[in-house]
Amino acid sequence: MSFGYLLVVSEHESVDYLKLAYGLSLSIKNTQREGYDKVALVIDNKEKLLGLTSSWVFDHVIEWNQETFWDGRSWMDQLTPFDNTVCLDVDMLFTEDYSHWAEYFIENSELYIANKTYTYRGEVITGDYYRRTFTKNNLPNLYSLYTFFKKDSKLAEEFFELGRQIIKNPVEFSNLFLSEHKPKVVGTDEAFALAAKLLDITDVIAYPLEFPRIVHMKPMVQNWPWPADTWSDHVGFYLNRYGKLKIGNYQQNGIVHYVEKNKIDDEMINILEEIAWKK
Amino acid sequence: MTTGILVYAHNSRSLDYALMSLIAAGLAKKNLNVPVSLVTDPSTVEWMRESNILEKATSVFENLIIVERPITDNQRKLCDGKNESMVPFVNTNRASAYDLTPYNRTLLIDSDYFIFSNRLSEYWNIDDDVLIGQSINDIYSGDRLGYNDRYISEVGIKLYWATTVMFSKTPRAKTFFDTVNFVKENYKHYADIFRFDNRQYRNDIAFSVAKHILDGFINLDSGRLPPVLTTLDKDILASVEDNKLTFLISTPLGEKYIPASITDTDIHIMNKQSIIRHGSQLLEMI
Repeated sequence: MSFGYLLVVSEHESVDYLKLAYGLSLSIKNTQREGYDKVALVIDNKEKLLGLTSSWVFDHVIEWNQETFWDGRSWMDQLTPFDNTVCLDVDMLFTEDYSHWAEYFIENSELYIANKTYTYRGEVITGDYYRRTFTKNNLPNLYSLYTFFKKDSKLAEEFFELGRQIIKNPVEFSNLFLSEHKPKVVGTDEAFALAAKLLDITDVIAYPLEFPRIVHMKPMVQNWPWPADTWSDHVGFYLNRYGKLKIGNYQQNGIVHYVEKNKIDDEMINILEEIAWKK
Repeated sequence: MTTGILVYAHNSRSLDYALMSLIAAGLAKKNLNVPVSLVTDPSTVEWMRESNILEKATSVFENLIIVERPITDNQRKLCDGKNESMVPFVNTNRASAYDLTPYNRTLLIDSDYFIFSNRLSEYWNIDDDVLIGQSINDIYSGDRLGYNDRYISEVGIKLYWATTVMFSKTPRAKTFFDTVNFVKENYKHYADIFRFDNRQYRNDIAFSVAKHILDGFINLDSGRLPPVLTTLDKDILASVEDNKLTFLISTPLGEKYIPASITDTDIHIMNKQSIIRHGSQLLEMI
């Protein structure tokens, strides 16, 4: 039974998503136990990997350029090369070994989606500034940024198929089921949450657990007393040469969803590469 | 193992900390059934003599530990109900508790923290070298608390309340108090790093920073004493009868007062003047 992380990127006019995926993959290699450190990259043009110093951090590279106008992650079940997969957003960093989370999901779940996130200070995020669609329409609070699934699961197959239908037909689904607060874009989070609600499987795929522990750096949910456009205006982001990450005065030990794409610059990549080379 | 309570009292011209510490000590001793020692200075002892409470103090306190009065220009705005005044605070030597305490396991309390229950007895044998009050609970509601009652600054770390601190005589606890002292002595530097207001030294902040550093720069669930039930300085202690304390609680907008009473509940009374006004009744309770 194979296990691995799946990252999906495609061309973007202003963000180098491959660089973010590279940083994430390096951090996975640097922190996860052997057997739990495999990464598959789905990319629209394999040639882009030639620009990376250590493209070996991607154990599988899958060229795929269909349906690029949708969120590619909604095809995760059909793209993964693994029997057991965690599909991740790429603007994240691993800071510790989470192999035991994967072991738990492999043992106990067919499909599990993160449903709780934390501030950089370790508080559970309760604010719905970015999630009015969820609260107003009574959707389960799912975060597709960490989605575990088994390849042979009927439950997962049915769920992802409905998710794709929702993303393909946003207006119809919004009018029918999200009328209390229509999102500007029906993204993967909204589609997965609505699919879980319609299939009535929230209790099966998003039951309460203390993990995955994900630090979500959207600025308006950091429990600050004033509004903020960008979190980096207010707290520092410090990656030391051992790969330990601090945000503000807090050591991070969860998966950090840093949101601001320019946080992974060449200096960060160099630090992560050096650690990977020495491992 | 010896257990006991430690209280600090350095009188100022505005506030009779000697009297408050005597009340706090008497109540703690009665309800936790352990001895209490006082850290104080010669002028405060002299005041005890002048105000005729020294005899009572020597019977309540197991030890009077006389130290030099700390030199500080700390001042703070304190309310007595709707009246406001700036008062000096002489409380910068709290980090010396580790060296001064005569006990193996010590509960360090502020002199305006009155213990009416044995709840803190549960913590004498907890396997933590240092425990600190994890937060304050406002007697009215959380609405009256400000951001800086929960965090040391807007983007900063969680604020613990050094109103209650329990510690053992262990190397780890010594490291903790050494760190508190180091933070105190380099307060501006730590204010830069932790982004707090350094204009006045505050024990709660120094203790919070030390805990955060020694916990590995994360919020640990361990090392916490229960939240400190608190009446704010805008509230007024209105009466002390039998075992009941009745307060007039200032509503969030400060336009009116509502009454609230407690019995058998530990309470932090920030309106120190109203404690002094009821000093004789409170002394009768010890």
